[in-house]
Amino acid sequence: MSYARMKFYCDEARCIECDGCSVACAEAHELPVGISRRKVVTLNEGIEGKEFSVSVACMHCTDAPCEQVCPVDCFYIREDGIVLHDKETCIGCGYCLYACPFGAPQFPKDGAFGTRGVMDKCTMCAGGPEETNSAKERELYGQNRIAEGKVPACAAMCSTKALIVGDEQEVSKIYRERVMSRGKGVQSAPYGWSTAYGN
Amino acid sequence: MKKILLLCLGYFSLYARVISGSVPLASQDMAPRNGGDLLVSSELVQNILNYQQWGELFTYLQVHWFRVLFFGITIGVLVVFLLHYLVIGPKKFSHEGKGIFVYSIFKRIVHWTAALAFVLIVPTGFMMIFGKELGGGDLVLTARYIHSVGTVLFIVSFIPMFLMWFVPMLPTFDDIKWFLMLGGYLTKKKVVVPAGQFNAGQKMWFWVALLGGFVMIFTGGMMYFQDLHLAVLDRFNLAQIDIIRISAIAHNFLGMAVTALFITHMYMSLFAIKGSLDSMLDGHKSEDEVKYMHSSFYKKLKKEGKI
Repeated sequence: MSYARMKFYCDEARCIECDGCSVACAEAHELPVGISRRKVVTLNEGIEGKEFSVSVACMHCTDAPCEQVCPVDCFYIREDGIVLHDKETCIGCGYCLYACPFGAPQFPKDGAFGTRGVMDKCTMCAGGPEETNSAKERELYGQNRIAEGKVPACAAMCSTKALIVGDEQEVSKIYRERVMSRGKGVQSAPYGWSTAYGN
Repeated sequence: MKKILLLCLGYFSLYARVISGSVPLASQDMAPRNGGDLLVSSELVQNILNYQQWGELFTYLQVHWFRVLFFGITIGVLVVFLLHYLVIGPKKFSHEGKGIFVYSIFKRIVHWTAALAFVLIVPTGFMMIFGKELGGGDLVLTARYIHSVGTVLFIVSFIPMFLMWFVPMLPTFDDIKWFLMLGGYLTKKKVVVPAGQFNAGQKMWFWVALLGGFVMIFTGGMMYFQDLHLAVLDRFNLAQIDIIRISAIAHNFLGMAVTALFITHMYMSLFAIKGSLDSMLDGHKSEDEVKYMHSSFYKKLKKEGKI
C-alpha cells in the first residue's frame, strides 16, 4: 500500500491576508500567546501590482533539515511525509530553527526566569508520538485532525481557498488548473516548493 | 448616583483631553518600529530565498562536522597527554621552603569563580552536542539550563580577570622561544624555560578564554534570547535568523578551541607539573619551579631583591 504524500500550498494570488489560518490554528490547538505555528506575511507592502501575501508554516520538507540537525534526534517523519517531533525528548536548543528555511519552529518562553522551553511547530494537525487522540497528545501537540479524517484547521477555514493541503497529486492538480485558468506568466512550482520538496 | 456622576465627569475630562490633543490616539506611525517578534515578519519570506547563504552552511556543518570534530579533538588531546604522561612523564620540582607568593586571595577567588563556570559550561556543552547518546529529554534540557547559569558566573569573573592579568599576559619575545622548544615539555630533563610570570601556553589559554569567551558570551546570548535586537549589528545588513546561524557556527568552532585548551590547562595543573596546583590554593609557587619554568620572571624577582 502506498501512502499519500502530504503537502501545503498557499496561492499568493488568492491570499487576502485575513490571518484566519493562523487564528484557526491558534484556536484549534489552544496555542499559548507568542506561539504562531502559522503566520501570514506580506511582501512588497504598498507597491502597486507587486504586493502579495502568503501563509507560512512548517512545510514538512522531504529532506527536513530540522530532523538532520537535531542533536537529540527528537524528529520523525511519517510515511505520508508529515514531520513531527517528540516534545519529551526535545531540549529546546533552537538548532531546528537555524536549519529551517521557513522559520517554522517556535519556542515558548515559559520556564522559570523566562527561560526558553521545548520547541513547538505545525503538526499538519497530526498530533505527536503519544497515543492518538489521548489527552496527553492534545495537551502537548494539539488536535489530531488527520486521525479523525479531517482537513487541517488552517486550510479547512481558508475563506478564499488560498491555502490547500493534501496529497501532492491532488494539490499539484489544483495548482495546475489555477495557473492555466489565470492564463498568464510561467510558474513551474508554488513558492517554497523547490526548497521544501526538491524537484 | 454619586459614583455615576464621577464616572461621567471622568469620561468627559478624558474626552476633552483627547479633543485638545493632550492624550495621543494610536495611529499607524506610532507603532513600535521593532515591535513584536523579529523572527516573524515579512523578512520571513525573503529569508526563504536567502536560505542558501547561512542556513545551508549551518545545516551542513551541524550534520557532518561539529560532532565529529568535537569528538576527534577531545579524544586527540586526551591521547596526546596520556602518551606524554607515560612516555615523558610529569615534571617534579622541590617544594622546600616557603615558595614565592604569586597569587593574592583576590586573584584566587576570581580564578576559582571562572574555574567553576568552566566546570559547569564545558561538560554541559558536551551533553548537548552528544544529546543523542544521552537520549535527550529532561537530563539534556537541564544541562542546557546549567550551561546558561555557568555563563552568568563566567560573566562575573570576566572583567576582574581581564584587568588583573592583562599586562602580564601581553606577548613577549620569550613566547617565541617557548613555542620553539614547546615549553620544555618534550624532554625529561629539567631545562630552563624562557617565560615571564606566564608562559606562552598560559597566555594562549588566557586570550582564547577571554577574547574567545567574550565572543562565546555574545554568540550564546544571541542564541539564548533569539529575538535580541542590537543596533550595532544593523550595519551588517543581516536578517536576525542569519545572525543566530552565524552565532551558532562561531560558538561551535570556538567551543572546540576552548575545550582543547581547557583540557590542556587541567592536565598541566593537575598532572604535568607535580604540585603546581598549590599556587592556586595557597598562593605560593615553589621556588624551584619558578626558577626553571618561569626563568625570566625569576631573574626579574632576583634583580628586584624579592627573593
